[in-house]
Amino acid sequence: MHEEAMLADLVRKAEAVARREGAKRVTRVRLWVGARSHLAGPELKDHWAYAVSGTVLAGAQVEIETSSDPNDPNAETVMLRSLDVDSAKGRS
Amino acid sequence: MTERTIGIDYIARVEGEGALKVRIQNNHVEDVQLKIFEPPRFFEAFLRGRSYLEAPDITARICGICPVAYQMSSVHAMERALGMKVGGQIRELRRLLYCGEWIESHPLHIFLLHAPDFLGYPDAIHMAKDYPDAVKLGLALKKVGNSLMTLLGGREIHPINVRVGGFYRAPTVNELKAFRPQLVEAMKLAETTVHFTADLDFPNIEEDYEFVSLRHEREYPLCDGDLVSSKGIKVPQDRWDDVFEEVQAPYANALQSVRKGGGTSYLVGPLARYALNRDHLSPRADQLAREVGLENVVRNPYRSVVVRAVETVYAIEEALRIIDQYERPDPSWVEPPPVTKSVTGGAVSEAPRGILYHRYRIGPGGLIEDAKIVAPTSQNQKRIEDDVRHLVERSLALDDPALTNACERAIRNHDPCISCATHFLKLDIERR
Repeated sequence: MHEEAMLADLVRKAEAVARREGAKRVTRVRLWVGARSHLAGPELKDHWAYAVSGTVLAGAQVEIETSSDPNDPNAETVMLRSLDVDSAKGRS
Repeated sequence: MTERTIGIDYIARVEGEGALKVRIQNNHVEDVQLKIFEPPRFFEAFLRGRSYLEAPDITARICGICPVAYQMSSVHAMERALGMKVGGQIRELRRLLYCGEWIESHPLHIFLLHAPDFLGYPDAIHMAKDYPDAVKLGLALKKVGNSLMTLLGGREIHPINVRVGGFYRAPTVNELKAFRPQLVEAMKLAETTVHFTADLDFPNIEEDYEFVSLRHEREYPLCDGDLVSSKGIKVPQDRWDDVFEEVQAPYANALQSVRKGGGTSYLVGPLARYALNRDHLSPRADQLAREVGLENVVRNPYRSVVVRAVETVYAIEEALRIIDQYERPDPSWVEPPPVTKSVTGGAVSEAPRGILYHRYRIGPGGLIEDAKIVAPTSQNQKRIEDDVRHLVERSLALDDPALTNACERAIRNHDPCISCATHFLKLDIERR
């Protein structure tokens, strides 16, 4: 439950960061999935593909790191770790 | 062109489950559409072909806040289909478990979702800085409800002890008696809650609701009684389909329920239960309702927060009553008869946020052939649109952020499933 809303929230955040950084293109997205998150890898990929359709993130490669630590303070969450972008700006 | 990596480490939040589209022409609200984005979850489809005995545990997963409601509606629907009579202490234990759910759910909404709206905070975390005692009180009450669910259900979320016919294991008399002090303490917190909620500032608004709830001849309803409304409905609870129907709004993923024939909205939940069953409140709940000046019928949706507090008192009082008269049933369940032909049964129970209808057709051998589940939020959705339409008509002068906040408050009055997201609404206003 709430997969779509969670992914839409991550996409909004990623879009905002890409805009702020003047990105022309996002080439790679790294997601982190907690051990107790209700979203699993394959399911997450499907939802992600739907959520990024029509955004600057469409076509970006998605790397999903799945944690096995149920005691991690973020174990129930999904996290947007980083974006690789093509932009005119230098490294920040 | 430079390729670089931007570190973010942002945790996903559940936000934006809904959108509200409002079309205004010449200062007149022409249309209001509440869109629910959450995709269909297909529970009704994947129940088909499963054993009817699995329905309580499968449907409980529909909601983490009110799993007992799904278990109760499903077991009663199955028992009605099979012609079973389940009464006595098993019936009392079911009411006790349901009380646990009300005790955990109502304070959650009152203190963590609704109170911040009244007190001007974006959420309970911010509210806790200035009202730490109120938030702690809410959490303490919720914990008692969760503990009661654990005692009867095996765990606090998605209990595993409910089965068609009764319970896999009934608690001992001593186990329930040992829980009594927690409920006595909870009663004090619940009484404080009634006064806390009654002292909030309420917009002076009344709506002309058609209230719909169960009504039992002698008790405040949880699982038994007829389906009644303030505008004349009175039918057995398994005849939900005779008086209501689900319709698909083209703009929303969630189905809406309407009165059959007229297509009008209706309201389920605390305001409806209270209006239609005020005479069945327990003594302390009745006394507190009088003390804070709660009318016998409350049509101000914002004051639903007070009714929830009164219902929490009722649930605690009812739980104490059940524990005090308890005798352990042996066996703890009634054995269902073999299913030799296709049978159909429906049942309604009172989830904290309103009536929940289940209907099943079971085939020979006991596999589910058809399932229908109508959640309270979908039954309230059209009514929520009506509330919001009236609000927008009264509030055209507000700017968009203020109007968005006001609409979120109006929606949250009815505790829909989407409202646990702090900012669940994207407002799209088309002004001409």
